[in-house]
Amino acid sequence: MTDKAEEEQQLGKVWDSPRGWAALSDVNNSVIGKWYITASFAFMLFAGVLALIMRTQLAVPDNGLVSAQTYNQLFTLHGTVMMFLFAVPIFEAVAILILPAMLGARDLPFPRLSAFGFWCFVIGGIFVCGSIFFDAAPDAGWFMYPPLSTEQSGIGADIWLLGLSFIEVASIAAAVELIVGVLKCRAPGMHINLTPLYGWYVLIVGAMILFAFPPLIAGDYLFELERAFDWPFFDVSRGGDPLLWQHLFWIFGHPEVYIIFLPAIALLAMIIPTFAQRPIAGYSWIVLSAIGTGFLSFGLWVHHMFTTGLPAISLGFFSAASEAVAIPTGIQLFVFIATVMLGNVVRTVPMLFCLGALANFLVGGLTGVMVAVAPFDFQVHDTYFIVAHLHYTLIGGMVFPLLAGVQYYYPFATGKMLSRKAGIWSFWLLFVGFNVTFLPMHLTGLMGMPRRVFTYGADRDWGLLNMVSTVGAFIFAAGFLLFLWDCVRSKRHEPDAPRNAWNAGTLEWAGKVPADQWGLRSIPQINSRYPLWDDKNLLDTIDQGRGLLADAAEGRRETLVTSVLDAEPEQVLRVGTPSWLPAMAAFGLGGVFIFATWKLWWLTLASGIFFLAVVLYWLWTGTAEIPEKPSKDIGDGRRLPLYVAGPRSTGWWAMFITMTGDLTAYLGVLFGYFFLWTVHENFPPAGVSGPGWQWPLVAAILAIATWGAMVAARLSNAAGRVGLARALIIASTIGNVFTALALMAGPWTSGLDPTSHSYPAIVWALVVWVVSHLLAGMIMQLYCLARSIFGRMTPAHDADLWNVTLYWHFIGFSALLTALVIGGFPLLQ
Amino acid sequence: MSPQRAHNEVERETGHGTDLWRVIAAPIIWALHFLFCYVFVAVYCEKAGRTADLFEARLWVMGATALALGAIFWLTLRIWRVRARSVTDDDFEFEHNTPEERHRFLSHAALMLCVLSAVAVLYIVIPALYLSTCR
Repeated sequence: MTDKAEEEQQLGKVWDSPRGWAALSDVNNSVIGKWYITASFAFMLFAGVLALIMRTQLAVPDNGLVSAQTYNQLFTLHGTVMMFLFAVPIFEAVAILILPAMLGARDLPFPRLSAFGFWCFVIGGIFVCGSIFFDAAPDAGWFMYPPLSTEQSGIGADIWLLGLSFIEVASIAAAVELIVGVLKCRAPGMHINLTPLYGWYVLIVGAMILFAFPPLIAGDYLFELERAFDWPFFDVSRGGDPLLWQHLFWIFGHPEVYIIFLPAIALLAMIIPTFAQRPIAGYSWIVLSAIGTGFLSFGLWVHHMFTTGLPAISLGFFSAASEAVAIPTGIQLFVFIATVMLGNVVRTVPMLFCLGALANFLVGGLTGVMVAVAPFDFQVHDTYFIVAHLHYTLIGGMVFPLLAGVQYYYPFATGKMLSRKAGIWSFWLLFVGFNVTFLPMHLTGLMGMPRRVFTYGADRDWGLLNMVSTVGAFIFAAGFLLFLWDCVRSKRHEPDAPRNAWNAGTLEWAGKVPADQWGLRSIPQINSRYPLWDDKNLLDTIDQGRGLLADAAEGRRETLVTSVLDAEPEQVLRVGTPSWLPAMAAFGLGGVFIFATWKLWWLTLASGIFFLAVVLYWLWTGTAEIPEKPSKDIGDGRRLPLYVAGPRSTGWWAMFITMTGDLTAYLGVLFGYFFLWTVHENFPPAGVSGPGWQWPLVAAILAIATWGAMVAARLSNAAGRVGLARALIIASTIGNVFTALALMAGPWTSGLDPTSHSYPAIVWALVVWVVSHLLAGMIMQLYCLARSIFGRMTPAHDADLWNVTLYWHFIGFSALLTALVIGGFPLLQ
Repeated sequence: MSPQRAHNEVERETGHGTDLWRVIAAPIIWALHFLFCYVFVAVYCEKAGRTADLFEARLWVMGATALALGAIFWLTLRIWRVRARSVTDDDFEFEHNTPEERHRFLSHAALMLCVLSAVAVLYIVIPALYLSTCR
């Protein structure tokens, strides 16, 4: 056997997927990505059926197909599922599938984390969707405004909330995975100015998730405290304010629209150059305008709240920002149009969907500019005009690009081609059906029909327009069914797609057909944005194993880690292998959320302990493993380390990213404190003395000491003084316990009752938030101690300690800030 | 597209790890300015009542705007000084595989984001120019 054949055999063995039932324990990105996409589409079809029921109900006036209660559940679940179980997760799903190949990586840096995210998503999704079969679905609209949702909804609101918290976990897991993937796992030589545009979009969207989702987590936290324990954050009669929820929800909700939209047009940025057969016409302009859009999208949230009675000048700021965001969005669309104009367009089905996307999105964008003008919005707020607008932006801006992506990447994912004829038919059904459904809704809205009504009187003259919309909806659905059938029909007797089926220029098309489990045979040096067009020898280099990391001699799954800016190889990263642990952890966490919905606290606790045990076992056996040798030859005369700790390692970045999101959520809760201060004349209210400044001061001092001890532990461990380091970890753990006790002592000793008023409630909410993080920090400290004692963490191999210290930078900061705010701010009044 | 250098390219500075932060510096200034304007005026109106005159708040907003525009201008000047960063060079593609090119690319993106951020800051201040009460 030749060397080359032996290498291939090694790779095949190492990257082989488990079979039979064990197939469900797979973690490889190409498998998880396909499951994730399938699951998202299944949820989308479910929500689509709900929409068809609604359209049938509205087809004629005074219809009695469904009751008002059922209709409430239908529209709430339709919105919730489409947004949280389809639009956001499909981004993660597609990125997990195609990103590694695009960057020339064998897998993403944390494949087990992807699998964990996937299982969380599926469990949470089934839980939320299933509720409608028990007449228990959420029914207060997909943005769950209190007081309707806190005072009147049944268990549906809890299901909405806890199911969603779970899905947020999956989103943040994906953000961690994808940001680290784009920054650290690009092929050597792929400088950041040569990174495929899809990678840039993923990076930007990942960062947006870190700042957009956490405010919703903070909102969910307050919301559930009110639902489960009657802490009155949103109850006006006890000093709360429903607008607090609206702010927290839309600080999440508006960026979310762009979190959905940007990855979808990222697909256009990959597809259009291929079919224009030329490089994109303004690479840097796309990058900078995507960054600009990412930022500006955070300044828009109040445009969902134009009719809540805020001062005109506040509306003015948000109206201005909403108009400003049209500039970078427009630049991106113009770049696409310019690329099409400068190239020789190949007429294909994906390209048809791209053009359809541009046309439809343009309409949504223009009505967006209209509703960004506050006085116009006053007129059409909560009417069908808004329904039409949001469907044009989401279907034009996200569904059509996504379907273009499915058409385009189908041969990449499956090795077969879709039918051109079925594609064209489904496109025209979808395009016509969509416009017939939603174009008349602008008029229905202008004629005064409010959204979310289950029926209307014949005297309103809305009947004809509604009938047209309903007919359109069924045409649209027919297009979808045809599309779907083309995707799932058996293609066993059809020939394989040719390699690089569309003659594309980017690296993901370098793979063989049928695809190898290990991705590329070897990792090539990249010198341009479209390596397959520019480097005619590239495929040979890859296939002959002349690139880097062409073998798996130690029987481990490995991928290259490179530097952020210039993609210089830095480390060989050993990535996770198939395991049941991610799924088990997801089921444990699922139990926590699901049992908590029915307030079954003992089962919740048991699930929590199970989750913790699984995660600890997963970490203990699968992470920061000390390699059998310090470095490895990757070919081309280069040797790279196998173990890296601190800011150059992927794990440190994952912790940094996770904690950035966590800190944002904390700041969301803190925002609640100051928001409630603004709406009250006296805050703290007259007669309330807690929590005093003494105990918070003690807590602040203890927090600094604990934090300092942790930093000292890392430094002394690195200096080889292991005994001292262990003593410092123990001291820090004790300090941690006392910090938590001192934080709670303030509100406790001053008798603050969280159910009496929003002030004690928000003080307790801050304290509980920090204390639970201190508890998690304690587990991490004990984990480090155990790793040190059992020889799995040494002065030279101290990744665990680096990461836990990093956690402490964040937690020390939030503990300190909490103590200062709850102790110090009342003194300023 | 190819590894060769652009025809008139000379040895240039390459920047370093802070390049990425500099790209988002101007948008961060926009975000801070935006947050300041919104939060300051919201708190001002909440505490002063709906009939209150906005004169003082508008002065603050305009002061913040001057500060933000000044900061963005300063950033722009610094990026402008990166040799051959963008508009004065005849190459807008930034597609060579060298650290210099990467540096020029990021500087170009940073420069144009300065422009975009300045425009967005100006947009934000418009309502403060003509609204005179908290109504």
